Amino acid sequence: MQQTLEDFFKVVRSAGVNVSVADSIETSKAVQLVGYADRGILKDTLALSLAKTLDEKNTLNECFDQYFSFNTFKKDALIEETEAASAIASEPQEPAAEYEGELELAKILLQQDKAKLAQSMKKAAREANITDIWLFTQKGINTRKIMNKMGLNELNSEIAQLASGDCPAERALAGQLRAAQQYLFEEVRNFVEQQLAMYGKTASQNIHESFLKESRLSNIEKRDFEVMVKIVRKMAKRLSSIHSKKRKRQDRGHLDFRKTLRQNMAYDGAMFKIYWKSKVIDKPRILALCDISPSVASYSRFLLLFLYSLSDVLDRIDTSVFTNSLIDVNDIFERFPVQQAIEKISHDYGMGGSDYGSTLLDLKKDYLEHVDNKTTVIILGDARNNNLAPQTEVMKLLYQRAKRVIWLNPEHKNFWGTGDSEMLAYKPYCHIIKQCNSINQLEKILDDILKASAQKA
Amino acid sequence: MKDLYDTRFQSVKEIQQEFESHQYICNTQIATCVYIAHNLQKPVMVEGPAGVGKTELAKTTAEILGVPLVRLQCYEGLDESKALYEWKYGKQLLYTQLLKDKLGDVLDGAVGLSQSMVKLQNHEDLFFSEGFLEPRPLYKALQEEHGCVLLIDEIDKSDHEFEAFLLEILSEFQVSIPELGTIKAKIKPLVFLTSNNTREMSDALKRRCLHLHIDFPDEQLERRILNKRVPELSANLTKEVVSFVQQIRELDLKKAPSVAESIDWAKTLLLLHAEHLDTALVKDTLNVILKFEDDIAAVNEQAAKFIKKAKAQ
Repeated sequence: MQQTLEDFFKVVRSAGVNVSVADSIETSKAVQLVGYADRGILKDTLALSLAKTLDEKNTLNECFDQYFSFNTFKKDALIEETEAASAIASEPQEPAAEYEGELELAKILLQQDKAKLAQSMKKAAREANITDIWLFTQKGINTRKIMNKMGLNELNSEIAQLASGDCPAERALAGQLRAAQQYLFEEVRNFVEQQLAMYGKTASQNIHESFLKESRLSNIEKRDFEVMVKIVRKMAKRLSSIHSKKRKRQDRGHLDFRKTLRQNMAYDGAMFKIYWKSKVIDKPRILALCDISPSVASYSRFLLLFLYSLSDVLDRIDTSVFTNSLIDVNDIFERFPVQQAIEKISHDYGMGGSDYGSTLLDLKKDYLEHVDNKTTVIILGDARNNNLAPQTEVMKLLYQRAKRVIWLNPEHKNFWGTGDSEMLAYKPYCHIIKQCNSINQLEKILDDILKASAQKA
Repeated sequence: MKDLYDTRFQSVKEIQQEFESHQYICNTQIATCVYIAHNLQKPVMVEGPAGVGKTELAKTTAEILGVPLVRLQCYEGLDESKALYEWKYGKQLLYTQLLKDKLGDVLDGAVGLSQSMVKLQNHEDLFFSEGFLEPRPLYKALQEEHGCVLLIDEIDKSDHEFEAFLLEILSEFQVSIPELGTIKAKIKPLVFLTSNNTREMSDALKRRCLHLHIDFPDEQLERRILNKRVPELSANLTKEVVSFVQQIRELDLKKAPSVAESIDWAKTLLLLHAEHLDTALVKDTLNVILKFEDDIAAVNEQAAKFIKKAKAQ
């Protein structure tokens, strides 16, 4: 049974639940305690000791149902097929001969012993290391391996021998065996497919995800948005857990004299407890300006998704979008969940060519007073101004007021400044300019922003 | 008095019955959890929305096992001195003042600083002995003669530092006090940690615990709970109350009513001698189960529909 349990851990792992060695030991102990008699209790036990969140519990329950299902070898199908085969066989009136050979597999097939067949298949599967199956290309070979371990070659030669004889009864038997063999093949293949679904779940997913992480955000297709959202959430969660911990840093060496005196008054001023000065690390305040003209809309979408997933570690996020004028969209983000809000914004405002100049003038008029030395300004756009006035002096003002100005440009560096791109004109007024193409790059940039805010404090 | 692990449960079923006789109705999952925790002496992390009986679970377990319950309420800024132990500074100071006169006897005519120091060093530990130790919940739990149920409530409210500090206690059931040495639990306490999920707990802590998620009960279970807790309420009204509460839990509310709140509501209705739910009655008493103005307004709109459905069942 231990082997079964270990295989189950493998299934759970491949479904994305982290099961450490210590976990598996503890779980085995717990399972030993409750026993296998009650399916419900076994399931609860596994859920209690393996899964650490509600999501994981749901995944685990799914895995459990999948793994401990015993619907292989439906007996009826076996009988039907063999009967059908004997009906089609050349001499239907001739009853098949009793099988007198030694071959175990042939006996089981003819007895139509479903339980034994399943048992023998699972044993063969274990010998063939079915749990290592990862990709769909391994299906054929694994099926073959299991069949071979079960004794396919021997069965084949047995059938050939029976069929070559003169006795019609033996030939009928051969026909029966052949049908049973076909049935067995289908069942094994089915079984292998199930195993693949269980053990190979993450492998193909991981490949897909790593591809999405590297690919240009504008090339990501709509059907992958759901996956992207998941990836972004995962990344955001990691970033927040890294950066949420050090909110306060003790500054050893600088005595907080006032606090120490006050706290030690109860002890007659004798300094039993000493307090050090500490620094509170500010959460970064972010003003995001996103170009949502069609050429860069998809980049803005993911930046916003990322930013709002990070809200735990950010003080506040103000978002404005623009094509040719600046539009405050904070209220939309307040009213709708992030994804819906992004859809709505790009639907409502995402028309027309971009005009950075007039956008910057809007910024100067309405926003500049809100920008202070704690604000990080993130501008996302390709700086293609359609040959209008760039208004760089506003950028200069912004540069002087804000803590940092970060410009994310989806275009490759070589194209900056070519054609109607004003990137080089804006460049002196930004603290950081990064080319930002894929979700991986985006993650790195946001990580840097959070890190910088911790260091500066 | 019996020790914590003297009581032996034979099966999950037995625990369920024990709980029921102590007015706590639970599903098999909860019972299985207690069964494993008690037998393998593992801590349990209980998660779930407020008011589904997380704290109650620990209390009832303590009652059944016949051991004391030691409770530690977590909050932001909770530290070792509040959770584990503290030296009684005041008492120490007072004693030094009082004993000042005795100093001459202790020194007993020692000449010079070094001789006096040697003499004093023999007495130094007196001031850092158990007499001057203020035990806090965790220390108490380790020192309990017969073992105890230790409830660490709302662990998610505590800081990361405290969480890390708990790791030693939860895996080894011992703590090191620099002045006294390592204190080991006489009998490992049965630990329940509760969390409302306001923040994610660290993997290290989760790994050491069984993870139990208690959700809102289904209709049948909730009816049984109400029957146990408010037995005077008529069967009909119980059914209606449960159905109504279950329905509004489906809505997108700021705070969905928990079991504790449906019990309160049942008691309220009992007090008002209500026989059946009706719109006016619901409108007047809705503030017992809902705690936000917006929620009350949202439910009021559809109250008639819910009542109709509750009665139809």
